[in-house]
Amino acid sequence: MSHDSHHAPVADKMELAPERSDLGLIRPDRTRGLFDWLTTVDHKKLGIMYGAFAMFFFLVGGVEALAIRTQLARPDNAFVTARMYNQLFTMHGTTMIFLGVMPLSAAFFNFLVPLQIGARDVAFPRLNAFSLWTFVAGALVLNGSWFFEFAHLAGWFDNFAWHKALVYTDFAPANGWFSYAPLSGTFGQANDALQAPRFTGVGTDFWIIGIQILGVASLAASFNFICTIVNMRAKGMTMMRLPVFTWMTLVTSILIILAFPAITVALIELMFDRQFGANFFNPSAGGQPVLWQHLFWIFGHPEVYILVLPAMGIVSEILPTFTGKSLFGYPIIVFSGAVIGFLGFAVWSHHMFTTGLGPVPTAAFSLLTMAIAVPTGVKIFNWLGTIWGGRIRFTPPMVLALGFIWMFMCGGFSGVMHSAAPADAQQQDSYFVIAHFHYVLLGGVLLGLMAGLYFWFPKIFGRMPNAGVAYLASGMVILGFNLAFGPMHYLGLAGQPRRTHTYHAGNGWETWNYVATIGAFILGFGVFLAFANLVYTAFKGNKCSNDPWNGRTLEWSLPSPVPEYNFARSPIIAARDVFFEHKHGAYKLAYENDGGEAGVHMPSQSWFPLLAGFGFLIIGFGMPLMSMGVPHAGWVVISGVGVMFLGIWLWALEGPGGYMLKTPADPLGAAAPANAATSAH
Amino acid sequence: MSQAADATHAHAPTSTGIDHKKLIMWLFLASDCMFFGTLISTHLLYRKLYPTGFTDAEGHQQFVKNLFNIELTSFSTFILLMSSFLMALAVSAMHKGQVKSFRRNVLGVIFFGLIFLGCQVYEFTHFYHQGLTIQNSVLGSTFYVLTGTHGTHVAIGVLWLILLYFYSFTGKLTGHMAGLDVEIAGLYWHFVDIVWIVIFTAVYLVEYLGPSGFWGTGLPLAK
Amino acid sequence: MFSRLFTRVALFVAPLCLFLLSGCSKEDLTVRQSTLDPKGPVAQMQYDVFMDTVYLVVVLFALVGGLLVYAVIRFRARPTDDPKPIVEEGHGNPLIEIGLITASIGALVFIAIPTLSAIWYDNDVPAEAVPTSKLSAWYPRVGADGKDNYAKAVEEQVLEIDVIGKQWWFRFEYPQLGLTSDAKHTVPNEFVIPKGKAVRINLRSEDVIHSFWIPKIAGKVDLMPGRKNSMWIQANEVGHYYGQCAEFCGDSHAYMLFRCEVVEPAVFDAWVKAQKAAAAEPAPGSKAAKGKELFAAKTCAMCHNITGHFGAGMFAPDLTHVASRKSLAGAWLDNRDPKAQVALEKKEKNTEASTPVDRATLKANLIKWIGSSGTSHDANGAPTKDVKPGNRMHYYAMFNVAGLNVSKQQFTAEELDCLAEYLLTLK
Repeated sequence: MSHDSHHAPVADKMELAPERSDLGLIRPDRTRGLFDWLTTVDHKKLGIMYGAFAMFFFLVGGVEALAIRTQLARPDNAFVTARMYNQLFTMHGTTMIFLGVMPLSAAFFNFLVPLQIGARDVAFPRLNAFSLWTFVAGALVLNGSWFFEFAHLAGWFDNFAWHKALVYTDFAPANGWFSYAPLSGTFGQANDALQAPRFTGVGTDFWIIGIQILGVASLAASFNFICTIVNMRAKGMTMMRLPVFTWMTLVTSILIILAFPAITVALIELMFDRQFGANFFNPSAGGQPVLWQHLFWIFGHPEVYILVLPAMGIVSEILPTFTGKSLFGYPIIVFSGAVIGFLGFAVWSHHMFTTGLGPVPTAAFSLLTMAIAVPTGVKIFNWLGTIWGGRIRFTPPMVLALGFIWMFMCGGFSGVMHSAAPADAQQQDSYFVIAHFHYVLLGGVLLGLMAGLYFWFPKIFGRMPNAGVAYLASGMVILGFNLAFGPMHYLGLAGQPRRTHTYHAGNGWETWNYVATIGAFILGFGVFLAFANLVYTAFKGNKCSNDPWNGRTLEWSLPSPVPEYNFARSPIIAARDVFFEHKHGAYKLAYENDGGEAGVHMPSQSWFPLLAGFGFLIIGFGMPLMSMGVPHAGWVVISGVGVMFLGIWLWALEGPGGYMLKTPADPLGAAAPANAATSAH
Repeated sequence: MSQAADATHAHAPTSTGIDHKKLIMWLFLASDCMFFGTLISTHLLYRKLYPTGFTDAEGHQQFVKNLFNIELTSFSTFILLMSSFLMALAVSAMHKGQVKSFRRNVLGVIFFGLIFLGCQVYEFTHFYHQGLTIQNSVLGSTFYVLTGTHGTHVAIGVLWLILLYFYSFTGKLTGHMAGLDVEIAGLYWHFVDIVWIVIFTAVYLVEYLGPSGFWGTGLPLAK
Repeated sequence: MFSRLFTRVALFVAPLCLFLLSGCSKEDLTVRQSTLDPKGPVAQMQYDVFMDTVYLVVVLFALVGGLLVYAVIRFRARPTDDPKPIVEEGHGNPLIEIGLITASIGALVFIAIPTLSAIWYDNDVPAEAVPTSKLSAWYPRVGADGKDNYAKAVEEQVLEIDVIGKQWWFRFEYPQLGLTSDAKHTVPNEFVIPKGKAVRINLRSEDVIHSFWIPKIAGKVDLMPGRKNSMWIQANEVGHYYGQCAEFCGDSHAYMLFRCEVVEPAVFDAWVKAQKAAAAEPAPGSKAAKGKELFAAKTCAMCHNITGHFGAGMFAPDLTHVASRKSLAGAWLDNRDPKAQVALEKKEKNTEASTPVDRATLKANLIKWIGSSGTSHDANGAPTKDVKPGNRMHYYAMFNVAGLNVSKQQFTAEELDCLAEYLLTLK
């Protein structure tokens, strides 16, 4: 990737202080190549890395999905074993949610939020790097379980004493992505070694610690983004002038900091059950497994909105750009986003309609779930209002955004069907639910994120992805997606339960399962093509102008790729859609008198976020090793904690550092002339 | 302790006028509220479900009220409250630049925090010998994990303050930023203190409401 | 350029959709586990609510989707557009917004009302589900003490069935009729209910969470360990219904199926009587008699109860009437002649039609099931392919407790044959 252009010539740099931290160590500032990526605190580079990791894990999750579909293509199929299938769907769900969609959203948060609010970085650049590396550690721990599983299947562990002593020999998690206790927990009485019998093996321990680490990463990132959005807005950028994407980032981050503690506690309790023989979810000792479901879904339902709100924000940016018309009902779109976030905490039990809540809670959660359809519908109406009377230019991002609205609408409709609890009694845990949430999360979120990728890619790399390939890929995604998940509505109504690795012929499910598998492969190839197109473009694509779409928000006023200081001089904002106004309207962008010859203050790079993240990686592998009974694994965990604290300690001691960087005198730098006709299409 | 923050930005005026570091601490505390809220709810839910108490290793039915030593816990609660008072003095001293006064007060906070932790360690061992373990009942699980998590928060706070105390001898803990750093540590300390008041009420005091406690001593539910 | 592409895509997609839709037929809606073919009041109520949501959603889909398609086509950029950009800020239109929000709420009320009434209807046996003619004969509506007898009448008129979920099969008990595990009469995997009678199902689990689902009779309710859930069902048509565990419960979740046989009340009474009968002694010297010895020698009797022969077993399915059941191994293996069954379903145009147990199929299933489940090893010492991976057959212990899963039984072909012959006598 052409990251060299992120650097101004070194001569522009002015020493603020000696490049030594308080520790006397030389800071890794302005290195190049791999070290630069490992130590960077630049939100744009971190965003790019988030995106790259997310796309990689999307493909991993996709391969798992295709294995699932291959197994289900025919009745009584034996492509994978029952256990392997259970591991595949567990890891598919976990990977797509925590390692695919969330980090891809985080990639956009990282790259865009500072640019959209006129800031030069996030509030805590090193914390931002820490979030990325901790996420990577959690991802490696979760997927590391596959390595253990395959090594076990290949017989590599057969000669080890600890392996012979194992009772449970599943190494990759196989509980489904919500790991219901007590299947994920314990039963009976704990023995002297504080171990109670379990239903599953080490895989669940990988899952617990992996999700816990990912939670740390998400929380740290969210604190950072809220701080950034609330505190680092440029002069004149009032809250009601924030671009909608930034607004949705704020709502999402607030959801994360309030929802993740519930899953953190649930995971701690489950871990205590498994490791120390506690009784939180152990039914034989009086634990209530339904508590796990409550705790999980108090997190899990806001999580759904954590996944979908960023995509809604992206679409709310793309539609005005390509209709050439400002967003219809901006305040209501923002408000409905906040209401969705708020109500998202009040509907969790609709995931539990069949657990025997009793009629009153069922009715209450039914009605609240219907209520949440209103703000969601409001968003769709306002998007429609944005299109209405506009002049739609069809570009890959616009087509994908329209696809998002359509698919999300379908997913929303089946969601309304679920809200009716009696009907849900038939749909719960059937393929109808699979269809519903894939329409929302894949047809909705993935199309939205892909639209965002194609929309901002020219800004990130200064290169324009090939539109023909993009259309082809989008077409395949939309066609394959509907072919794969449309029939699942029928399969669910025809009684096929989810999470079953096979089914008999004679139930009438054969044809549509086969069709769904064909669709899944078309979809998989489409997503691969779309990503491949982007990767190719990042290195070899055609260069494009700074404002190829006639953009509306601040980031389009910057050169592409964006220089590391973002804004040569800090902007002063006088209106919503400020850059569009600047080009075509009455309000012009003004600039503060900072930067230029005097330089801007840049934060120094650091090794220590990476070191702290590495500590989490050691902890993450150490805990399951302990569960496996590998000798001295406890020391691995302790050394992991040590490395983590060492990283944080050195990070605190080294101080923020920093240096001055000269910027061009002209505030727009090499930015595009304000010319609406520079669109690539 | 500027663990996460960059002084660079802290000097720059912020949109709200609140320093980044202070804001992020408030955000962390909001998140921590949900964290403790979940743990306390877990305890209360199970307490309501199993009002009787627990069965010790010999198979004797034990009531929670007989287990608790409310005088000791009240004492350690009082100590923790007083440590908050000293923490407020320490913050105020640092804002005025009185490093020596800061050191004195923060030492007091550390001392009180350690007394609290000591009481908790004593309490845990005592309860363990009384027969309440993390394995033998749901009550043991919720009680030890809830109060243990709070104890961990206190321990981290004590560690933080010890580091601040020694850091003040390096001469780098001066000026506006120093006051802010101490204030943030103080925010954390006060929060942990307030959480303890909630825990003390919800876990300990309610057992003494009326003759048989808030939860009653109903017959044990089906095990 | 785009509109041309759009046309081409539409030309391709439209016939494809039509082709796919042309595959739909009435048979698709009445498949074995279809939720769209309710045969009892609970499923009917759930179906009605579902159809309400369908009506609402179809209307909304046509409206919103239609507007979206119209807007996208109507408002596409044209060369004739005014070249001046549109710069006014969009504040939306309060009237339109409020109108749409009100309309959405109204639309939701349309489904909220049937939803609420159905929630309470489905929760427990409603009074109207009990045949009132009998009630009036047996119970005067108002008792001598002036209190309403109706609730009590409902209580006594309802057939109670306890369902106990285990990894990976269901045990059914009829406490009112003396079919309980205490009485050594339990019914695994295939339970029978009389037509037209309200049945309360008490749901219990002995290990993890399972879910009880017979799509044509009622939606699912979970079997939560440590929690007493219940539901009620009623079937109005005689037939053989198919159910399945609907909550992921471990390795062999996909194999955790069950059946519900709905019969005329007289047949039901006869069935209950038959369930209480002890097994007949196999003819001395026959293969079956040898099988009976093997059943004890191979420790099968440790877990399986056969009333009249072996009485120690508690953990595993009761085999006293195994040869009369139409399915085996958590209803995964079907004991009916597959060809005859398909032919009958076609002929009757009804997936609830059922052929009787086929002796040859049953025997093959028994041999396959006993010979390959658990942790058996074949002649080469390699583990045999499990019919149900992770199942507890051939374990002494109920669960995989450390150290207790060492006992593995192996069978010769001869032994399997004898065992199967023995089990075939258990009608």
